[in-house]
Amino acid sequence: MTRRRDLLRYGAAALLAGCSPRGGERRVDRIRLWVGPNAAEESFWKVAVARWNEAGRGLPVTFTTIPTAGNSEDTVLSALIAGTEPDLSTNIFSGFAVQLATLGQVEDLAAMPGYDALVERRRMRAIVPGWTQDGRVHALPIYSSPTLLWWRADLLEANGLSAPPRTYDEVYAFSQRYGGARGRSRYGMQVIAGRAWQDRWFDFISFYYAAADGRPYLDGGHALYANAAGLQVATFIDRMFRARWTAMDFDAEEPLVSGLAAGAVRGPWDVERFANLYPDTLARIAVGPMVAATPSQEPAATFSDSKGVVIFRNSRVKRQAFDFLAWVLGDEAMNLLWLEKTGLSPARADLLENPRFAGYYRTSAIGRAYAEHVASARPPALSEHTIDVQKIMSAQLIEPLMTGQRSPRAALADAAARTDRMLEAQG
Amino acid sequence: MRWTGNGRGLSREAIVGLALAGAYLLFTAVFWAYPFFWLAKLSVTQWRFFDQPVFTGARNLVRTMQDPQFLGSLWNVVRFLAFYLPLAFGGALLVAFGLQQVGRGRAFVALCFLLSNVSSGVALSLVFLKIFSSTGPLNNALDAAIGVRIPWTNHPTLAMLAIALVVAWKFVGYYGLIVYSGLLTVPRELYDAARLDHAGPLTRLLRITMPMLNPQLMMVLTFAILVAFGLFTEPYLITGGGPADSTATPQMIIYETAFRRLQPSHAATMSIVISLASYVLVVLARRLFEKKVVIA
Repeated sequence: MTRRRDLLRYGAAALLAGCSPRGGERRVDRIRLWVGPNAAEESFWKVAVARWNEAGRGLPVTFTTIPTAGNSEDTVLSALIAGTEPDLSTNIFSGFAVQLATLGQVEDLAAMPGYDALVERRRMRAIVPGWTQDGRVHALPIYSSPTLLWWRADLLEANGLSAPPRTYDEVYAFSQRYGGARGRSRYGMQVIAGRAWQDRWFDFISFYYAAADGRPYLDGGHALYANAAGLQVATFIDRMFRARWTAMDFDAEEPLVSGLAAGAVRGPWDVERFANLYPDTLARIAVGPMVAATPSQEPAATFSDSKGVVIFRNSRVKRQAFDFLAWVLGDEAMNLLWLEKTGLSPARADLLENPRFAGYYRTSAIGRAYAEHVASARPPALSEHTIDVQKIMSAQLIEPLMTGQRSPRAALADAAARTDRMLEAQG
Repeated sequence: MRWTGNGRGLSREAIVGLALAGAYLLFTAVFWAYPFFWLAKLSVTQWRFFDQPVFTGARNLVRTMQDPQFLGSLWNVVRFLAFYLPLAFGGALLVAFGLQQVGRGRAFVALCFLLSNVSSGVALSLVFLKIFSSTGPLNNALDAAIGVRIPWTNHPTLAMLAIALVVAWKFVGYYGLIVYSGLLTVPRELYDAARLDHAGPLTRLLRITMPMLNPQLMMVLTFAILVAFGLFTEPYLITGGGPADSTATPQMIIYETAFRRLQPSHAATMSIVISLASYVLVVLARRLFEKKVVIA
């Protein structure tokens, strides 16, 4: 009987131990790191972590990819609740970092010893303002992926353009020739990226940054985009739809491959996708800046789809974790390795001037175009209400412009007013 | 269960019974009762994952009932059902009557209908996304034939119709088999007697077949209501809830509120309201349409 009771007791203890947070098991003899769940990033971290551990510069690092089947944010959140989060995690977008900071779960990296030296060494002075909120930096950008316009160079040439369009008027003129040639069966460019809230980063916000020279579209509790730049973008979108120079969606196929659309907003992550799936098309792509009413100073501002790295509050090796971070982000050799392994530009402003990286960009015209825009690309607004802000943008601005239900000016004013009301209500 | 006569504890039979029941009770306690009580606790507290829940009474409920996005998603359930129910019933009856006409290979045909039901919602949503695209094959064919493109996923009403069509494609075969099982139980003598009374095909359908199928049709109605309240994958992938939140469903709003806005207390209240709403609708449907079928 006693043995049976003991068995029950041990069984229950084992069950509860499995369910309980493992905060008490936090290691102080090593740094645990989670990295983005893709083969390219994993191959970089494998080398970087091995070099760090071999050199014996500090606490040894162990890493694993974020154990997710869906998206990283859900997994990081679950781990935080269960107390099983690592010391460091990459693949964190700036809006999520702000949410984690609001919940008190991540460290202010700007307060870490050696932060200023890292920013200087990595040439990030022009980049970190976009990641700074009230003087605090909750995530440091690892890479910066500007959005740019891809154009089919052969289709541009066939219609009298030797270089990608830079202004709305050039897009209108090209679309008139290209779309008008065979009725409505092909379009000048894909203007709207999709229906989801995150698609606004790849259409309105990208165009807005280009029109506004990188000025923000949101400032704390207020929408700032109901201005001249916002109106220019809204008018451009409206005109493209009214003239049927673009389609409501391009879900059926990759429009650049068939020539259904001659231009579309694409990021550097698309280079590898096209290289694998559509190498012939990739060879005919010319990359141009985000178009605006008037050509802006080079390089034009645009949106940057960046992911950063955070240090969690409950880590017991924060200082040591930052030392590792400072080494891996600040070391030029590591930055070059990142570039070679992932094809994504490290978030540093000297990519084209620094001879260490010049060799890589000499061989890749598309990569060079993205590297040129790293310093002028802006991250999303640092808001924990990103999803609501961009859902309002979709429903009150983009969709009415697509269907022609509202004028650009009215849609813009309505979207901004609703955003303000929502932010005020959320406090 | 019984105590042993000597007062030394449970009999062997009682221990075995308790052990068998205990496994189920433990499973229920861990995976049903605990989440349920945690949900109930969350709904009357303010909690943001890492702090201690603070009791706030009915504040979450008031907030939920004043949330235009949530109320809009409830209305979207009604709009979805307006499209889905005719498709589900019409399709199910067609499948059932069609199966009656199939001679050899009936089991194979039935299996084919079930395949759509077990296929991945993600995969079929991606296929239909391409079909319904404004530049997709359906619109290209329409454009070539009559010069018209239909904004299947970009018009509030058409987008809901498109989602109802996709969901119907997935479930109609399954519903059809349920109705077909009902058809098999209708006694042939009833039809023979009706023919002797000179009842035509329509009269036989309306006076015999449909009343006799009431239990199966009620089952289909109940399943359809539950599908409507549980809808997530198809609208999430095909329309993203747009245009203008016209296809946003309660499950999408709950997911976004809990895991994107990081407001689990608010989401918990929403899920309780949704559970109650689906229960009330099922009860109402049964009260209105359920008939007791008795062959006197």
